[in-house]
Amino acid sequence: MQWSHAASSDDAAPLALAYQPCCLCGVEDGMPVAVGEDFEYHTSRDAFVAMRCGSCGLVYLNPRPADSELDRIYPPTYHAFQFNAENFGLAHRVRSRLEARRLLSYCRRLGDTPRILDVGCGDGFHLQLLSEYGRRGWKLEGVDASERAVQAARDAGLDIHLGTIESADLPANAYDLILLIATVEHVANPSAVLKAAAHLLKPGGHVVVVTDNTATLDFRLFGTRHWGGYHFPRHWNLFDKRSLRLLAQHAGLEVEMLSTALSPVNWVYSVRNRLVDRHAPRWLVERFSLKSPVSLGVFTVLDGILNALGRGALLKLVARKPRHTADAIQADRQPNQSAPVEVNGHA
Amino acid sequence: MNDALQKPVAVIGAGIGGLTAAHFLRRNGVPVMILEGGKQVAGMASSYVDDRGFHYDFGAHFITNRLAAAVGIGGQCRDVPYYGETFLVKGRQYSYPLGLLATPRYVVGALKAKIGGRQGEPRTAADWFRQEFGRTLADEVSLPILEAWSGAPADQLSAAVAQKLQNSIGRTIYLRFCSRLRRRAISIGYSQEMPEGPNVWHVYPEHGVSQVCERLLADLRDVVELESPVQQIIVENDRAVAIRAAGREREVSAVVSTVPAPILPKLVTGTDALEPLRQFRFRPMTFVCLRFEKRGILSDTVLWTAAAGFPFFRLTETPLSMPWLAPEGKTLITCDIGCQVGDEMWTMDDAALGDKCVDALESLYPGVRQHYSGCRVLRTPIAYPVYHLDYEEARQRFAAGTGVDNLYSIGRNGEFAHILMEDVYWRTIRKMNELLRKLRGAPPTPATAPRFTSAASGQLASV
Ligand SMILES: Cc1cc2nc3c(=O)[nH]c(=O)nc-3n(C[C@H](O)[C@H](O)[C@H](O)COP(=O)(O)OP(=O)(O)OC[C@H]3O[C@@H](n4cnc5c(N)ncnc54)[C@H](O)[C@@H]3O)c2cc1C
Ligand SMILES: [Zn+2]
Repeated sequence: MQWSHAASSDDAAPLALAYQPCCLCGVEDGMPVAVGEDFEYHTSRDAFVAMRCGSCGLVYLNPRPADSELDRIYPPTYHAFQFNAENFGLAHRVRSRLEARRLLSYCRRLGDTPRILDVGCGDGFHLQLLSEYGRRGWKLEGVDASERAVQAARDAGLDIHLGTIESADLPANAYDLILLIATVEHVANPSAVLKAAAHLLKPGGHVVVVTDNTATLDFRLFGTRHWGGYHFPRHWNLFDKRSLRLLAQHAGLEVEMLSTALSPVNWVYSVRNRLVDRHAPRWLVERFSLKSPVSLGVFTVLDGILNALGRGALLKLVARKPRHTADAIQADRQPNQSAPVEVNGHA
Repeated sequence: MNDALQKPVAVIGAGIGGLTAAHFLRRNGVPVMILEGGKQVAGMASSYVDDRGFHYDFGAHFITNRLAAAVGIGGQCRDVPYYGETFLVKGRQYSYPLGLLATPRYVVGALKAKIGGRQGEPRTAADWFRQEFGRTLADEVSLPILEAWSGAPADQLSAAVAQKLQNSIGRTIYLRFCSRLRRRAISIGYSQEMPEGPNVWHVYPEHGVSQVCERLLADLRDVVELESPVQQIIVENDRAVAIRAAGREREVSAVVSTVPAPILPKLVTGTDALEPLRQFRFRPMTFVCLRFEKRGILSDTVLWTAAAGFPFFRLTETPLSMPWLAPEGKTLITCDIGCQVGDEMWTMDDAALGDKCVDALESLYPGVRQHYSGCRVLRTPIAYPVYHLDYEEARQRFAAGTGVDNLYSIGRNGEFAHILMEDVYWRTIRKMNELLRKLRGAPPTPATAPRFTSAASGQLASV
């Protein structure tokens, strides 16, 4: 008799799971939008439910793997640990270029010797780009909870703190720019992370959040199971513009810009996951991977068009820590008066 | 935490309803105690394996991948590859829905009904079915089933009983098609509460349906008290303040009950708000589970036989959907018999009942008797809620609440609603969110526009 999940037999033990309320509303009140599995790494046979919060629209995994399972759901083969030139060739070079341009655009207004923190820096991909393409005086730091990733980043000569942004002993009111790129979707409590970031920022300093967008065509097409952005069971919180804005406001930050950005990744994985789930032949599945320039190219064009229409696969938020606490209170109370501009993203 | 949170919430009954409520409250910081009258948990969602390797489910056979994942047993379930239903009418079998749709008599009747338009809101179930499906289909197929299952004439039943069957034929056919293509029994008409679609299908837990409840129990062991029937719920000034079980009285901050609705007023003292519930009736059932040394006797998992004058109104050969429920080459057929407590069917001894069912089967499938190897019989006085017009108003009022602010009546029998496990689960969570807000002293959220939409689809299956 066949079991429903394509897992290797040594991963048979079910994961320990934990229930969490919506990190923005504090209640577990919503409706299930998707049921899925770990289509990419098959780290367990478990199935997961993505809920959409009834009040704020946040999509969150509930129940989700308990903290004790992190080593299991992020296996050594996890791509963030292996995204390098040897493994990814052309895709790596193209992505590095694009990412570097995007990163530098966040840094335009920085002074001569800014202090920059990359939260959830992984093996230091973004920090390396900044040190390569950025200016001399920049003081670059990273923080990540994965020992493996931290080691890799340190080996590359980067200045990395081990731990979460809340737990690592980082200085308050010290940073000019904090980057949360593809981070908030992975963490247990994005709201607490943003509050911690706000605490570490200098008054007037900026935070940049880049994360998956649920208000997209790929979500509509694949959202009940195969959507790449779910990345089951590793993405625990997924946002749209409304909930991402709330996230920043809850942390007392002023939203300066909120837009979408183009990315082919969720498209590629959405198609791939569907094929995997339908037991498609391997050669076909392999057509849809981050190593495949053709699928990346096609979906880059598609998402580029969607992005021009304000529906790109990623959300990009820039928010500022108010210079005075009075600003903060105002930002918190009257979110609409600060009239953040919504611009369509540009890569 | 405010004062109300110091005292526990008493949850009565450890079926899926009670366990879900307790699990939810507890993980949100509310102390709970669960009082279960029986020796074990799971209630109507129990399963049992005999020493020959046959699996019997007390009530529920089918859950969904979504429910399994929500309670955290998704990895311990297998997909149900197939599910189908067939109707037996005047000696001929019609598959659902295509077989029925291929019958001109039914289609013409249904079209006429559609073209004729509605003559106002139907009040009775009979009117509803005739308006919706046309007279021929209603009278030959739907109404006999409804009557056998509820034990009352369809013109004395509320149209509300039928509304849950509301379906769109197009969508049913589409989901059926996906189901065939993917070899997964996509759930159709199973859940009213949450949307159905090609990615919600039936699964079966490795250790039987009771595993759903056992998973919830695993986090609640220290607060479950078995063999502790609640004898009294004490209400003062329109608030539940205490319960009495095993002769001991305990103060509570709220009561969440899965006791069958008509029994609840017998337990509640200090208010007559619940008195109208005494009239509500359930249809008792006898389930005869026949064992055969052969598999594949029925042409489909479920065969509706109501219109054919048999003792049973439905036959289910579960191993056609879930081969693992019987040893290889063998099968189980469950015969559902509606009855009254104390009547002939209720009192007949098990062996005679088995024989009677096999006789009837023999007329449908000549030769089956030689494969018959015995039966197991289950009788329950509380199987299906009967939506009789006699108490329709009281039922509708009750659907909005018990009338006691901190007394919740949940679950299938507690809500007096024909709902299946997954709907019990989500409805319970929704109600417990409301209770949680009250306990935390937060204002209730306004009942805004419907937040839960359910895909229109339907199947008689899950009754
Ligand atoms: C024949 C049949 C087939 C079904 N098939 C399916 C199916 O295929 N799929 C599906 O999803 N659902 C199915 N269902 C429905 C499903 O079984 C129920 O919806 C679900 O099990 C109800 O759970 P509950 O917690 O509401 O009630 P129960 O499971 O009845 O639990 C109530 C509990 O309360 C206890 N109790 C009662 N009074 C007291 C008291 N005074 N003090 C203490 N404890 C008390 C009882 O002992 C019991 O354990 C079927 C039901 C039936 C009858
Ligand atoms: Zn929310």
